[in-house]
Amino acid sequence: MRRVSHEWQKYLQKGFIDKKYWDGFKENAQAASVELKEVKSYEDAIPVIEGIIEDVKASSIAAVGGDESEKLNNIYKNLEQNCKVYTDKFDIAKNAPTVDIGISVAEFGVSETGSVCVDNYSYEARVTTMLPPINIVFMNKNNVVNTMTDAFAILENVFDKGYTGFVTGPSRTSDIERVLTLGVHGPSRLILFAVDGME
Amino acid sequence: MANRNIKVEIKEKLHDGTLRSNLERFSEQYPTARAKAYANVESIEALRDDLKDMKSYAVAHIEELADEFQASLEKRGAKVFRAKDGDQLKQQLMEICRENGVHNIVKSKSMATEEIKLNDYLEQQGLHVKETDLGEWMLSVAGQHPSHMVMPAIHLNRKQCAKFFSDELKEDIPSDIPFMVQTARRVMREEFLKADMGISGANFGIAENGAIGLVTNEGNARIVTTLPPVHVIIIGYEKLIPKVSDASKIMRLLPRNGTCQRMVSYLTLIDGPTPIIHEKNGKMVEENKKVYAILLDNGRLKAAHDPVMKEVYQCVRCASCLNVCPIWSTVGGNVYGHIYSGGIGAILTGLLNSLDDFAQFSDLCIGCRRCTTVCPGKINIPDLIQELRNRRVAQKGLSLPEKLIFQKIMTNRKLFHTLLRTASIGQKPVKSGKFIRNLPLFFAKMTEGRSLPTIADKPFRDRTNDLFKHNPASPKMKVAFFSGCNLDFVFPQTGESVVKVLQDIGAEVVYPQDQNCCGKPVIGAGDLDTARKLAKKNIEALESANADYIIAACPTCAETLEKTYKELFVHDPAWLKRADNLSKKIREFTSFVEQAYEKDKRLKVTHGKEKITYHDSCHMRRSLGIYKEPRKLLESAAGYDYVEMNGADQCCGMAGSFGMKYADLSVQLLNRKLHNIKESGAQTIAVACPACMMQIGGGLDKNAPEIKIKHIADVLAENLSD
Ligand code: SF4
Ligand code: SF4
Repeated sequence: MRRVSHEWQKYLQKGFIDKKYWDGFKENAQAASVELKEVKSYEDAIPVIEGIIEDVKASSIAAVGGDESEKLNNIYKNLEQNCKVYTDKFDIAKNAPTVDIGISVAEFGVSETGSVCVDNYSYEARVTTMLPPINIVFMNKNNVVNTMTDAFAILENVFDKGYTGFVTGPSRTSDIERVLTLGVHGPSRLILFAVDGME
Repeated sequence: MANRNIKVEIKEKLHDGTLRSNLERFSEQYPTARAKAYANVESIEALRDDLKDMKSYAVAHIEELADEFQASLEKRGAKVFRAKDGDQLKQQLMEICRENGVHNIVKSKSMATEEIKLNDYLEQQGLHVKETDLGEWMLSVAGQHPSHMVMPAIHLNRKQCAKFFSDELKEDIPSDIPFMVQTARRVMREEFLKADMGISGANFGIAENGAIGLVTNEGNARIVTTLPPVHVIIIGYEKLIPKVSDASKIMRLLPRNGTCQRMVSYLTLIDGPTPIIHEKNGKMVEENKKVYAILLDNGRLKAAHDPVMKEVYQCVRCASCLNVCPIWSTVGGNVYGHIYSGGIGAILTGLLNSLDDFAQFSDLCIGCRRCTTVCPGKINIPDLIQELRNRRVAQKGLSLPEKLIFQKIMTNRKLFHTLLRTASIGQKPVKSGKFIRNLPLFFAKMTEGRSLPTIADKPFRDRTNDLFKHNPASPKMKVAFFSGCNLDFVFPQTGESVVKVLQDIGAEVVYPQDQNCCGKPVIGAGDLDTARKLAKKNIEALESANADYIIAACPTCAETLEKTYKELFVHDPAWLKRADNLSKKIREFTSFVEQAYEKDKRLKVTHGKEKITYHDSCHMRRSLGIYKEPRKLLESAAGYDYVEMNGADQCCGMAGSFGMKYADLSVQLLNRKLHNIKESGAQTIAVACPACMMQIGGGLDKNAPEIKIKHIADVLAENLSD
């Protein structure tokens, strides 16, 4: 998968991340309507996702990031028992407008705002996260920085070209009578798996 | 822009129930919601300073940044154009459309394209263009203009929205909000999928790497910049920032101020061409998108090189200056320019369109300065508006009646004061016509909601001989009293109270008889030459008093004498020196007395029988920064029990000649104030500004005569033994 950087982790570890930022991240993410799931390992996410598939009667999924993570790839293989899972970029491009769920990854979280930073250089990552009504995201629970200032200090190092940014909860609008409504152009649900001790 | 009748438009807005209740509810909720969004930052001030410094650096280096931005993008494979105005941009864009065989276009919100009316043009050219932001889409369907930069459709209710949906889709759409949103998703998704080109604006453009930032909650900008094979970025010069890390300086403030969120749902950063996978000749292929950027000037570069107006580059279009503006929150955005509303809208219209367009609604800023307390870029909106007014007067001159009154009457103190005295006897002849509207005493025609005061039989200046007999035998200091027109001719008893209170703290009080109007109404109208004449007369008069301090019990006079005179003489070193010396001696009455009382340990909180509350004058609170002192004085005023009222610092609606020119609107602001006064349960409302006393007093007289209004000087004087 094409990426803005392969060195996110290297810069995150230059004193930006700390476990103490988790609580703030959690509070702000939930305030922004993120459905936060803390799990001990990847495998623990499987039954939860299966539950979601059943709930929304999903029949197909677009999933990116499996090429870079063995564990993620295993999840995708597992899910294939329940539902069609597209992982090839051409398949994703073709089917993203109709799949029920998109699964993707985030590089780190920002405590101050509850945002996750996403590396979306690849086209398949963008359509996976934006077109389906549900976006499931995997993130390393330890990768949380304190403020947006810190987040951009990291970007200063890694962002030379491509497509990146921050996602803070699902797509929303208040354009009619200032009533908050989720899921206008993008997903109406953002489900974030924060995985303990993810590599 | 054709000549418009703003007064008629305002009247319509004042009778638009949907608009009024939407705006009222919003402006009530906004301050609390904003504070909550900022609850987890250490210092809002520090963030505002960071943003301001970064943006003022950017404007000082605008050409370098533009070159760097262009080079960065070109290096990464994008094409960059510069457009000096809307016409040139349209040609460039059409060329791009032709080159790429474009027919269907999706757009995410861009103020710059609205400014040059791009959509109308593209449609005329036979192209199919869709706005994808829900609010903008509804307005484009309705043929309306956004009334707010962040909440474009805040003036509509769900029924009106449903009608626009139904008209556009030719189906019956119920006024159920989630249903409408889902419908928009469905309809717009088709547009996205068939689009040949996406046009986006940019919230910022980063010079060092050529990236742009897009801020949305709906996520439409992400799809606009992802699905179509061609992406055109339309970006104004003011959006350029030097470095990637500078973006955080915008992003820590913009969502908090704009929508009271700690962050928007999608902050998207795009740099150069990115891949797209689509079907080509029956085969799926991956290739790079085509990316174009057009840098729009349209008056921006001229503003960048303008020593005063360059401040507008500090604007990040958060619209919070509207959210707190008493005028915007009463009439909404559509009475301002067509694109940019509120005070900042007036300024941008003046810079991007023309001073004539600016002049059509520049009076709608009443200089209350509330916006300056929240603006993330710390823009002095009312000062920039004043600067543009001055320039227009320099260019076009004053209207005839203004010219006559300012230049022939007000500068001739004897004539001016004779006219005022005549007014006290006749009242009538002066009350009619344009003459009175431009006087510093705004006692023109009566309006329904308030009575306006009359000129006193005996002005303050004729009462001084008796008063000064009571000067202390061995004074601690000598003070000169600058009354200003209102205390001289409308409220001379308050002038007497001021003198008594000052004498009581040991001051020998003198009144230089040659003092004239401070000049504020003339300055407000932009006639700086006449203002200088008045200033010189006053400086001479006050110098001759040889006093230790000069006291004004009118915050506007205090501000004018202390601050504005120096600005008037920046290019005249001799007078500047005299203005500066004078400035050092000026004291606002309540803060001066509070200090003296504090020193004499006379400030002890009491709880008397009668409840009293306090209204902050805009100038007192936000220009002079005085708001604690009057409260302390009232808390310890014998016989009273001080209570705080809601919205104490909201403008009462007087604001110079505005109160007369836009009488209906002024009365709306007044009614809000009266409501809060009644709610507080106070029997007396205290003020420290004679203009507020006139406005609120006039309103109470008509609506709640049982509530008394007093200047703090009167409250303090009551408790002094004669
Ligand atoms: S100074 Fe007051 S009236 Fe003028 S734009 Fe700012 S908030 Fe509005
Ligand atoms: S002037 Fe200030 S408050 Fe108004 S939109 Fe611009 S940045 Fe926001």
